[in-house]
Amino acid sequence: MKLHSTHTRPDLSYGLGESAYDEMLDSSGQVRPHWTTLMHALEELGSAELESRHQEAHKLLRENGVTYNVYGDPDGVNRPWQLDPLPLLISGEEWREMETGLLQRAELLNLILADLYGSRELIKKNLLPLELIYNHAGFLRACDQVKLPTSRQLVFYAADLARGPDQKMWVISDRTQAPSGAGYALENRMAVSRVLPQLFRDSQAYRLERFFQSIQAGLNTIASPRTEAPRIVVLTPGPFNETFFEHSYLASFLGYSLVQGNDLTVRDGYVWLKSLTGLQRIDVILRRVDDNYCDPLELLEDSCLGVPGLLEVARRGNISIANPLGSGVLENPGIQPFLPAIARHFLGQPLKLPTAATWWCGQQKELDYVLANLDNLVIKSIYRRPGDSSIFGSQLSKNELAEWRARIRANPKMYIGQEHVTFSTAPSVTSQGLDPRKILLRCFAVARHNGYEIMPGGLTRSAPEKGDMPITGQMGSISKDTWIIAAEPQYATANASQAQSVLSRSHHSNALPSRAADNIFWVGRYAERAEGSVRLLRATVKKLYINPEPDNSNYQACIHNLLRSITSLTGTWPGFFAEDTDALLRQPETELLSVTLDEERVGSLAHSLRRLVKAGYAARDLWSSDTWRVMDELENNLMQSQEDHDTALWQLQGNMDMLITTLSALSGLVMESMTRNDGWLFLDIGRRLERGLQLITIMRTAFSVKHEDPVETQLIESLLNASDNLICYRQQYRSYFELSSFLELLLLDENNPRSLIYQIMRLQEHVAKIPSENSDQRLSTAQRLTLEAGTMIRLVNLNNLLEVSEDGMREHLDQQLSRLYYLLSALSDAISTEHFRHGSAPQPL
Amino acid sequence: MRYRVTHTTTYEYTDQVGASYNEACLLPRSCPQQALLAARLEISPVETDFRVREDFFGNQVAYFSINKPHHEFSVTAISEVQVYPAPTQLNFSQGMAWENVREILEENMSPQNLDARQYVLDSPLISASNELSSYARDSFYPGRPLLEAVHDLMQRIFHDFTFDPEFTTLATPLSEVLEHRRGVCQDFAHLAIGCLRSQGLAARYVSGYIETLPPPGEEKMVGADASHAWFSVFIPEQGWMDFDPTNNQVPNDQHITVAWGRDYSDVTPLKGVIFGGKDHELSVSVDVQRLGE
Repeated sequence: MKLHSTHTRPDLSYGLGESAYDEMLDSSGQVRPHWTTLMHALEELGSAELESRHQEAHKLLRENGVTYNVYGDPDGVNRPWQLDPLPLLISGEEWREMETGLLQRAELLNLILADLYGSRELIKKNLLPLELIYNHAGFLRACDQVKLPTSRQLVFYAADLARGPDQKMWVISDRTQAPSGAGYALENRMAVSRVLPQLFRDSQAYRLERFFQSIQAGLNTIASPRTEAPRIVVLTPGPFNETFFEHSYLASFLGYSLVQGNDLTVRDGYVWLKSLTGLQRIDVILRRVDDNYCDPLELLEDSCLGVPGLLEVARRGNISIANPLGSGVLENPGIQPFLPAIARHFLGQPLKLPTAATWWCGQQKELDYVLANLDNLVIKSIYRRPGDSSIFGSQLSKNELAEWRARIRANPKMYIGQEHVTFSTAPSVTSQGLDPRKILLRCFAVARHNGYEIMPGGLTRSAPEKGDMPITGQMGSISKDTWIIAAEPQYATANASQAQSVLSRSHHSNALPSRAADNIFWVGRYAERAEGSVRLLRATVKKLYINPEPDNSNYQACIHNLLRSITSLTGTWPGFFAEDTDALLRQPETELLSVTLDEERVGSLAHSLRRLVKAGYAARDLWSSDTWRVMDELENNLMQSQEDHDTALWQLQGNMDMLITTLSALSGLVMESMTRNDGWLFLDIGRRLERGLQLITIMRTAFSVKHEDPVETQLIESLLNASDNLICYRQQYRSYFELSSFLELLLLDENNPRSLIYQIMRLQEHVAKIPSENSDQRLSTAQRLTLEAGTMIRLVNLNNLLEVSEDGMREHLDQQLSRLYYLLSALSDAISTEHFRHGSAPQPL
Repeated sequence: MRYRVTHTTTYEYTDQVGASYNEACLLPRSCPQQALLAARLEISPVETDFRVREDFFGNQVAYFSINKPHHEFSVTAISEVQVYPAPTQLNFSQGMAWENVREILEENMSPQNLDARQYVLDSPLISASNELSSYARDSFYPGRPLLEAVHDLMQRIFHDFTFDPEFTTLATPLSEVLEHRRGVCQDFAHLAIGCLRSQGLAARYVSGYIETLPPPGEEKMVGADASHAWFSVFIPEQGWMDFDPTNNQVPNDQHITVAWGRDYSDVTPLKGVIFGGKDHELSVSVDVQRLGE
């Protein structure tokens, strides 16, 4: 069926799928009224343009680092987020009904949660069977009687909805543990409204911002009433978690510190953040770690993601955790059949949102029904373990059905059977044009002091293929933005004053967690290490391929020295220092390729880049979107270079040029757009330290032993080239290349940002600015080390350095540089031990 | 009978421990057959934070943390209790048949009965299995009075199994205990509980101490006692009754109850999380001293 018989271009045609209900077309093939504006606009746009917007959205999400990690995925972590730019539309009229239903359901689940960890009246009155609750691994007995200071215990709630046979939206499952997806929904909205701005403006879709203000307000509400300005953190399992992107995104959007378990500690009945300035008391935790993993003392003892003693602090009311530990008990699908009676009991109302019919096998009649109808039911365990997925009876063979019957009979209390909901379809943008695909919608609620608020929108997931929607615990597949179409136009942030009052209560000067400082320090070091390595590699490759002079012994000596500098700079020993290196020095390509591309080899350029990206990702919440885009480019550059295995060395020069540009962009952005806060300080310390160490290494390798003058001349030229100082040298000295001028420029010129003295002076300044807990006047170890290095380099006598002893060594040069090298290495260690104290992992007694 | 129990646990670490967080289930609870007279914990180094609460099962659980560096850590629980002798010996061959007990458990909604139902379910260390059920069946033939069946089960465990502290650890699964017929008091209690649950009955794990008497003519050695464990079965209308399969006896006034739960994991005497420490050496001493009648 065509959209509009006369106007439709063939490429935008869309027909009803096999599903009973299509979101856009009614059963006669007419476009439903709330879709008409959008479809007219899409026709104007045309399918080619739509596809190009699709690509643009994809690029935008990738550049913003929007990822969804899939455990065990061959593509590894950081899989880009898949977005279909065509949103799901829901009419304002239908939404009002859904919203009312969701509000009721959130209230109801909240009452059940409070009851199960309180008086357990529901069990005493037989409204919930004891066996259903006590057999559920999410019922945490240690959490009994632990309460938030507010009337609502369930702070965050999400529901997965799909259209049932009566054409209404039905609840398929409830998420009450640490529901994910709200951040992705916001990011989807950002991307779609950027690539389809006109469409979005004309659509009158509800805005999402207010919901996130409500999250802030809600979290402020649950803080202990004793706290004036609550300190709030987002607790994440870390960069390997599937939704780590969302954790970092929410943390930076809401203005909270992103922390892992090791960043927090329990002392004197409170929870503290280990920050650069010492311990800071925390009042509220937005938890994205599953409750069982949150406290190795009272819950899973081998968890490394939690904080020992956390539950005891919550018990005393000194920390508020959202959602509270134990809230996973509500994610028990066996509760569903009991909800109507509980709704009547608690609210005196019928349940407003329909639910897929569910039978808990712990009751004889229900068990019999499930066993008899297994082939057209969905089988679920009452407790969903990571990686569990639902079983569709219709897809099982006779033998499998028999096996499942036996399994259920052996332990009936652990299973439910559920009606198979068929889902509706909605148009999806595919390479073949629009195609009807099944969809599932996740809606979000947050508790504020006067009630729940529902996000006016949600996260729609659509099936990647025609046919059934794969329902898995993970959120992969393709996502869509969700527009609730209002009757009147919507304006951004309708209530600015309200937003203001929210922000004023939460603490704004966020302390830098010491783990974040650690990561950011290594971003500085690896960025500089990568830049130094690639510059030296490029200079060497140039020397090897442009005007090679294989018969010239001076040229050979220079090449050998450069090759050895590469080994010592990258630390890829033995490299060009190996015994019997003649052959290697004559044929250096294989080793050079390995030092450039072999990611597994510690010290290689690829390895440094990988570590840079990894450290950057772990501190994801601290980068601006522009900085992140550059990081993303680095990762792409890295992945591309990994793809072509038979590249010849000379072909890599183009890539090296590009890489240098990207790395320079990174340092430029950091210099120009990063606030001069503690984060910047540690990044620059890392960078200066690394640059200083590199300079020393290169100079010692090249000049500790005196070579023939022509060799040294060539070396100086190549090294000036490698350190980007050639122009500067020519302008300053207008002379031949000689070592004294070279050393003056690269060691002692305080105005040259690539000189050693410049690095040491900056380090001295930075180290003095590191926040300290101790107010005493004594110098810290780091200050003492930089003071010695600074004094030493200022007192250097150039002529002294140039002296050559009888055995052909520049002993002074070597000794002094060696001492400076020691001081800078010790500085790096001192900073690590004094400031990066997230420390050792907990272990059971 | 009045007792003083002194229970010391000491950890010596090879490396320094920076911080430790602990939970101790060492303070005896009061219950119908026992009155708590006094109890306290002595902790070294001195704790920085300490609080006692009642847990889900009504036991006394102490939380404490030590936030200063240490190489050695010890906890001593000193408690005084009065244990009352059991009422006159029951006639095991009377009373309700075990199937009736199971039916009442399933249907009756009285608070005691409802509370008992949680002890029918699988627990972290005990899962009902065909093996347990078939071992239990010899004692649970149709129509047999509950207490007679349980008493028979206790006797069979005592005779069929060898007490062997070398064989099992805390991590040994019940199936291995059953297969090799060896274990310690904790294993025998778990085994009996698993058997009862496999028949649809409610059984719980009891941790505590037993008074041991020296051989005739010898002085009792201080610290030579040990913590002990046994099980308890639920009888509708009457409540819980203890059985000690390790000693083949129905506890009278020589068993001192500390805590109960679904299995050992609910009442672990001392657990904790430490930062640092590396390896450790553990020593435990228990002394049960009779103070008077």
